[in-house]
Amino acid sequence: MINFALEVGPTATPEAVMFWILAPIAVAAAAGMIFAKKAVHSALLLAWVMITLAIFYIAQDALFLGIVQIVVYTGAVMMLFLFILMLVGVDSSDSLVENIRGLRPASIVAAVGLGGLLVSLIGRATLGTDVVGLSAANSGGNVQGIAEELFTKYVWAFEVVSALLITAALGAMVLAHSSVIKSRTAQRDQSIARFRGASLANAAGLPSSGVFSRHNAVDVPALLPDGTPAPTSISKTLEARGDMLSSKPFELEEKEAEED
Amino acid sequence: MDVSNYVYLSALLFTIGAIGVVVRRNAIVIFMCVELMLNAANLAFVTFSRIHGNLSGQVASFFTMVVAACEVVVGLAIIVAIYRSRRSASVDDASLLKR
Amino acid sequence: MLTSPKLDYALLAPILIILATAILGVLVEAFIKQALRARLQLTISLAGIVIAFEQLYRVRNQGSSMAAITSVSIDGAGIFLQGTILVLAFVGILLIADQDHFAPQASALPGSIEEAAALESGRAQTEVFPLTLFAVSGMMLFPVATDFITLFVALEVLSLPLYLMAGLSRRRRLLSQEAALKYFLLGAYSSAFFLFGAALLYGYSGSLSLNGLTDAIHGGGGNDVFLLLGIAFVSVGLLFKVGAVPFHSWTPDVYQGAPTPITGFMAAATKAAAFGATMRIFYVGLDAAQWSWKPIISVIAVVTMLFGAIAAISQRDIKRILAFSSIAHAGFLLTAVVSLNQSGLAALLFYSVAYGLATLGAFGVVTLIRDSAGEVSDINRWLGLGKKSPLIAATMSLFLLSFAGIPLTSGFVGKFAIFSAAYESGNIYLVVVGVLASAIAVFFYLRIILMLFFADASNDSVSVVIPPLLTRVAIFLSAIVTILLGLAPSILFDVAQNFAYFIR
Repeated sequence: MINFALEVGPTATPEAVMFWILAPIAVAAAAGMIFAKKAVHSALLLAWVMITLAIFYIAQDALFLGIVQIVVYTGAVMMLFLFILMLVGVDSSDSLVENIRGLRPASIVAAVGLGGLLVSLIGRATLGTDVVGLSAANSGGNVQGIAEELFTKYVWAFEVVSALLITAALGAMVLAHSSVIKSRTAQRDQSIARFRGASLANAAGLPSSGVFSRHNAVDVPALLPDGTPAPTSISKTLEARGDMLSSKPFELEEKEAEED
Repeated sequence: MDVSNYVYLSALLFTIGAIGVVVRRNAIVIFMCVELMLNAANLAFVTFSRIHGNLSGQVASFFTMVVAACEVVVGLAIIVAIYRSRRSASVDDASLLKR
Repeated sequence: MLTSPKLDYALLAPILIILATAILGVLVEAFIKQALRARLQLTISLAGIVIAFEQLYRVRNQGSSMAAITSVSIDGAGIFLQGTILVLAFVGILLIADQDHFAPQASALPGSIEEAAALESGRAQTEVFPLTLFAVSGMMLFPVATDFITLFVALEVLSLPLYLMAGLSRRRRLLSQEAALKYFLLGAYSSAFFLFGAALLYGYSGSLSLNGLTDAIHGGGGNDVFLLLGIAFVSVGLLFKVGAVPFHSWTPDVYQGAPTPITGFMAAATKAAAFGATMRIFYVGLDAAQWSWKPIISVIAVVTMLFGAIAAISQRDIKRILAFSSIAHAGFLLTAVVSLNQSGLAALLFYSVAYGLATLGAFGVVTLIRDSAGEVSDINRWLGLGKKSPLIAATMSLFLLSFAGIPLTSGFVGKFAIFSAAYESGNIYLVVVGVLASAIAVFFYLRIILMLFFADASNDSVSVVIPPLLTRVAIFLSAIVTILLGLAPSILFDVAQNFAYFIR
């Protein structure tokens, strides 16, 4: 089996090089994610961060997890995000003007505070134990090692997670699935209904829009379905100049009922 | 270089995600920042797993991924439902619940 | 080679029965036709809960910390809380059974033709029943979980169905969807904090279980920074779930927006589960480090009690009043957590039952007060209802008096137990603040009772509808238990004291 196991303790130079190249990029991508105007850019930057993390996992002897991170987290979860973004708000861009006054500076202070606190506290931590490294735990292979823990120690949590999966599927269906209330009439039924109707006037189907329009001049207002002129169909300038013609002569006269 | 650099990175990413939740207004982007926080926790788990030499951290990471996937499904379903009602995914517009 | 693990199925059976019932409910959704579903789901759910409770009763004197290898610890407190959650779920499902509160088709836009058509055709969103049962299974797992993976999984299993159901209200759908979104975003945020805290505690102790954490604290090997940060972050997640200050901001909005039966269920059962888990983490896992977390949690308890009591005074919407009151009660329960003694645990167990049933009853009564447009939750429109419907108003008053802690109700016994536990542990100031907060709270509870009985009936069209049978049963049960536990508390209190122990 391919041995990615790197030196334990102070990590060896190849890992250090990789870390110091990728980690700043990951942080920059994360920061870009929270500042990007377009949501799709945020999603792509997050996908980049996740791939970087997958590389870190592989470098730290978590081979299975690294691959699962790429396949499941980046490949499934982030793609789901992108799909939903496309459905919901691909052209929605957050205006970066903040409504709540004082939230921007307050959150910057909080960011610096929390980040500084965490980093400084962790910096003082000497971790207590030496780095043991995973070469012993991975001695049978990383996948086998995880399998052993997963199916013996954590088997109960593993089974309960299935409840979570069912809930997710059920919930998505509840919120998104509309069951058909009335069955739609099929083409054959519609055709029969047309010919069995009271008059054959519409046997060939109703005329499409525009069939009965009598003009297309720019100074005559269009007619609404009930026969009244539409006020918004004429440029306001023409209306103000008094150049609007009446649409009366163009309206259809009422026909008397035909004798069959 | 020290293995604890990974822990710093994880703390930094966590902080960035935590701030992102507060600053952004698009519900989907807020949720993506929460995902970033979960990923940061995963990185911490994997690093500590390497430090302590047992695989429990990796198993925890694995469970986190499963749980995050389910949460994403439910969360995005709720967001899509809101979007369809309001034609907007911005949390500013969702302001019926005021004092 | 892997040896197959030994699970103690008898002890795990209650959770498994609920899960099986939930899955059966999902199958009913898939295969049974619409007209039969509602009654079938109701029957299955109630039967499942009864069977699970019976199994729980059968194993009540057993206990084991190896029931699922290292994941759960079935002990007295765990069994009692599981029983509590089952009882609360039973009453909650009786309230949920009135499908009038839920949108007929959640995917139809509010106010659209599809929704009108769905209403006419008598559709009902009966998926609520299996979702509730999944939430119940998560709630039953949360107080007995002993390692952070199981805790996190249980937290999510109990939360996700609640996020979904909060958005399913029939009337004022937009408000309901907004409540669901808010609950979801804030809930996911706090779960992420919980997880990071778990990672830091793992970093400190090298083990994911609470026992491993205690051993590491005793051993003193790890670095305290990780321990403190881990405790802080884990507490954020837990305090969010119980609605303590400063993580309470979701409570009024979600309680107001969600369908009332779901609000009642959420308020009652989630608190029981979350406080059980909090107790276990702090007693079993972090007992040795108590001087790290006790001061902060005490301060949070004080602030929560006072904030809940004071903020409710200016509210006009009954659901928001009950939400702030539940924040105050979370403060009282945190006082029990801080006491760190066995009487504190017993008091918490008793209080969960008393408060849970009173909450369910109160929200049940809220569902009954309606006008032509739906539920009326503005208490200014409740004036004089006591004259029109004295029985319902009296029941509501009973629940409000129980919240206030007036003697002869279960709430009084619960509060007394908590305060004596706090006194025993030497936290006198908590007792003082608790009594003060209760006194402030009495003000707004009494105001509602006065508005119900001693004001003139307004000309509004607000009235109390004839309760559907199941709602009537639910309110009746809650009221009976509230009075019973007030008059003869030892029925439950002795049981709680017998069961108030954790197995490491």
